Amino acid sequence: MMLTLLQDNLDYLLWGNLAQGQPGGLLLTVGISLAAGVLATLGGLAGGIALTMGSPRLKRSLTVLVQVLRAIPVLMLIFWCYFLLPILFGIDIPGVLTVIAALALINAAYLSQSVQAGIAAIGKGQWMAGAALGMTRWQTLRHIILPPALRHMLPSFINQWITLLKDSSLAYVVGVAEFTFVATQINNREQVYPLQVFGIVAIAYLLLCSGLEWSGRRLAGNSR
Amino acid sequence: MTPPSWLGQGWLAPHYLGWLLHGAAMTAALALCVSLAATLLGILLCAAQDSPLRALYWPAHLFCSLHRNTPLLVQVLLWYFGAGGLLPDVTMQWLNTPHQWALPLGFSLDWPSFEWLAAWLALSLYSASFISAELAAGLNTVARGQKLAARALGMSEWQIFRFIVLPQALRVIRQPLLGQYTAVIKNTSLTMVIGVAELSYTSRQVESETLLAFQAFAVATLLYLLLVIGTQLAGSRQANGAPDA
Repeated sequence: MMLTLLQDNLDYLLWGNLAQGQPGGLLLTVGISLAAGVLATLGGLAGGIALTMGSPRLKRSLTVLVQVLRAIPVLMLIFWCYFLLPILFGIDIPGVLTVIAALALINAAYLSQSVQAGIAAIGKGQWMAGAALGMTRWQTLRHIILPPALRHMLPSFINQWITLLKDSSLAYVVGVAEFTFVATQINNREQVYPLQVFGIVAIAYLLLCSGLEWSGRRLAGNSR
Repeated sequence: MTPPSWLGQGWLAPHYLGWLLHGAAMTAALALCVSLAATLLGILLCAAQDSPLRALYWPAHLFCSLHRNTPLLVQVLLWYFGAGGLLPDVTMQWLNTPHQWALPLGFSLDWPSFEWLAAWLALSLYSASFISAELAAGLNTVARGQKLAARALGMSEWQIFRFIVLPQALRVIRQPLLGQYTAVIKNTSLTMVIGVAELSYTSRQVESETLLAFQAFAVATLLYLLLVIGTQLAGSRQANGAPDA
């Protein structure tokens, strides 16, 4: 029964209406997560470095921004981006892009704190050693502080990527046809097998997240 | 002076603010009930994963990794749509009809709606798996040597836990646990998808009635900030006021 359900809906679950030029389903979930993941990682690195190297004023305003972003639900941020970005820019922005923007922003906020903490965990002596060698603060950061700091941060990056992958399901609330949205469509059509439909979806996310965690661990193991 | 175009026309009428406040109260109530249940279940899960009995360890371990590695939204949908298939029809019918009990002095108590119950269950199970991990991490910070020393002094397992491990672990656990409770507040927002009239749901409702997106989301965001930062402040104040064990 679960098998026929899967067989009947597999294509739709995996790529939505890709043939009609509208990617959806698992493919869109992976796409959203990858795009937002790359942006969040870059933003988190930039934010964390700014929180370390910036002027006191920049640090203060960034800290407030990060605290606010961390204190509101992701869903709320998705609403902000979905309803207000188009009005602000005066153009029609596809829902997918607003969701990517929201996910990138909130995860960058979390990551910038990890990056800041990871840099702070490297002893003061290292900075002094860099200065003693005649390096500038930026050179010290680039060549002495960041390489070991990034290795220490890798586990928190992996956790954040997993959180992001799970949170991409929230695109559902603004009608983006990603995996969870497609699954509820199928559930509404079939009506009778909700446990099976959402069970399949949960297993797929579980495999994705465990896969990400596993490859992250391997990566962390190799970089030691 | 005319307001900028993105602000739309005017400000929210007072009764819409009332809706949002009502939503915030629902969010707070749901978060409180979830936090209580998740903490109790989290303690049990943590104890089971610490148990030498394989029959206790594996189910608890599996429960936690299943709940931690799937989206909360999927879990909420699964319980909301799927519970019907698990429960007998009679029970479902009872749950789907409103019930009310009269209390003395003219008060009455409503049995919560089915959406509310499904939301509470899903959030509690999800949060419990995270809380149990925080508890386990806290207990693990107590050095093994201390337990061995206590045993050498002739203390029983219970005495070791009560007088050596717990006081030290509680101090470490407090902050991450507080983080989990604020996460619960934020996570209640997902229950809007099954129709629980909490803050995100009401903000969306106000937005679609008034078309004042900025105002509706601004008020809701402020209310979330108040709830989350209020919880953080209350928690850390209690931490400062409590005597060190």
